[in-house]
Amino acid sequence: MRFKITSKTMTKTVMYIILVLFALTTLVPFYFSIITSLKTSGEYASNTTGLPAAVTLDNFRMVLIQGRLLKYLVNNIILISGGLVLYIIICAAAGFAFGKLNFPFRLQILLGVLFLMIFPQMVVSVQVYRIAAAFKLINSHFGLILVWVAYFSPFGTYIMTTYFASVPKDIIESARIDGANVTQQLVRIMIPIGAPMIATISVIGTLAMWNELPFSLLLLQKPNLRTMMQGIAMMSGEHGLPVPQMTAAVMVSSMLPLILFLFFQKYIAMGATAGSVKG
Amino acid sequence: MARIRKPGDRENLDALILISPLLILLSIFILYPVLSNIYYSFTKWRGFGAAEWVGLKNYRMLISDNKFHSALKNTAILLLYIPLGLLVPLLLSAIMREGLKGWSVFKAILYLPNVLGYIILGILFSVFLRNSGPLNTLLRSAGLDVLAINWIGTTKSAIHVVGVLFVIWSKIGFGCIYFLAAMSSIDTQLYDAARVDGAGWWRILFQVTIPSIRFAIEFWVVLLFIEVFARAFGFIFAFTYGGPGFSTWTLEFGIYILGFKNYQMGYGSAWAVVLFLFCAVIAYFQIRLIRRAEK
Repeated sequence: MRFKITSKTMTKTVMYIILVLFALTTLVPFYFSIITSLKTSGEYASNTTGLPAAVTLDNFRMVLIQGRLLKYLVNNIILISGGLVLYIIICAAAGFAFGKLNFPFRLQILLGVLFLMIFPQMVVSVQVYRIAAAFKLINSHFGLILVWVAYFSPFGTYIMTTYFASVPKDIIESARIDGANVTQQLVRIMIPIGAPMIATISVIGTLAMWNELPFSLLLLQKPNLRTMMQGIAMMSGEHGLPVPQMTAAVMVSSMLPLILFLFFQKYIAMGATAGSVKG
Repeated sequence: MARIRKPGDRENLDALILISPLLILLSIFILYPVLSNIYYSFTKWRGFGAAEWVGLKNYRMLISDNKFHSALKNTAILLLYIPLGLLVPLLLSAIMREGLKGWSVFKAILYLPNVLGYIILGILFSVFLRNSGPLNTLLRSAGLDVLAINWIGTTKSAIHVVGVLFVIWSKIGFGCIYFLAAMSSIDTQLYDAARVDGAGWWRILFQVTIPSIRFAIEFWVVLLFIEVFARAFGFIFAFTYGGPGFSTWTLEFGIYILGFKNYQMGYGSAWAVVLFLFCAVIAYFQIRLIRRAEK
């Protein structure tokens, strides 16, 4: 049995080394980002890797006020809360139908929806822009919400479908006998039953919308309407900003994902495996 | 009600009510755009006014466009990283499976890049890896000037850095969680039987673990294809902005620059048709996998 013990210890050691290395590849750039965000541009040039000699919060003030990140945060809150309500209703409703009801072409329609899930924003971008212009939805938060929900719903629908498919059907049957119509069934029965998965798709949806870039770039062209990701992506991509300010912007925009992650880790992990791993 | 309803009628109507919001939104913002894009790829259109029919001109332009060649070549290079994008998380999870059972701290660490998203990761690494950035400064101060190459500043290395970071590194955490979940459902008797037969670690990996999670592996490979063709825009935008030169252009990035920076929307649509075809093939494979899972 001596061999077994050593191999176990070996495995543990290898595991630790790998995880530490992996953690470092994330944490080291992040660490440098934090210390850089507290330096002036002058200090960053002369002291790139050391701790800041004099801590300054100017970079944060710059990106929050002049860089408008504070304004973008407000925009994001409006966009995401509006988008999320619509997204949940649409995914839960469609998931209910696909998962629990029998109707002609059920599987074909569902597969069609899943087929559309793969296309990147850029495949449809030119036409989405044209349609949005025709409906006067350029520079409109409402327009972006509709496009976001259209783009992200297929995945949420798929997760809700697989979840609802595992719910026993007699619950709906008995509600139907009691005379509940379809909206009542959805609101009173399916949504409460689906609550854990709705929480999961809400976290996934929030992160997806928070991190979305292409559609925001196309539809929100007025600077004061932009989203946070759009703001920081444009700072780095098109207009080179001084490095310390860019890192401050990264710090600010990492806050929401990190907070969500700390509090809703369980749901994020659930979403990661839901709908994809099936034995 | 005069008409005698069949029991299925009500269910059909209910289903229609429930799925129509989704189908309406999808038709307007995804399905119709995919189809009308094909028409616009045969036109010259600057994003306003009428589109002018130009036949195959955009496609002829594609064939001789360096930017297009560059985008295809770069995509091909990124695809070459897929085998490692599979093997690295697969091996790591096979190692972790031995001792890792619901170890949430590890999961959290592994998950971090995923949560931050590609734009934040792109900016983080663009700062960290630039020629005068922290990594090269550290390498130089350690006397390792040979290693302090201009990672994303030279056309030769930039796309490979994207390959390593985007295709392999950024997905290690998610891959491990994904494969560990799949491995947790393998019947432990299979392992016991293999051990009784005297099978070593590698043999168990190839004869028990991998065959048992073949399905998850196939899904993962399809996912990596999707990531390369259809999910790299944000990372490229924030990390290299397609540069230096066209050395990290992809099809997605090309559509953005041509359509929305150069206002060649007709020509950009032709790029989008090419991207659409690639994605349709991948989607076909994914649907086949999902159908097999449903059975």
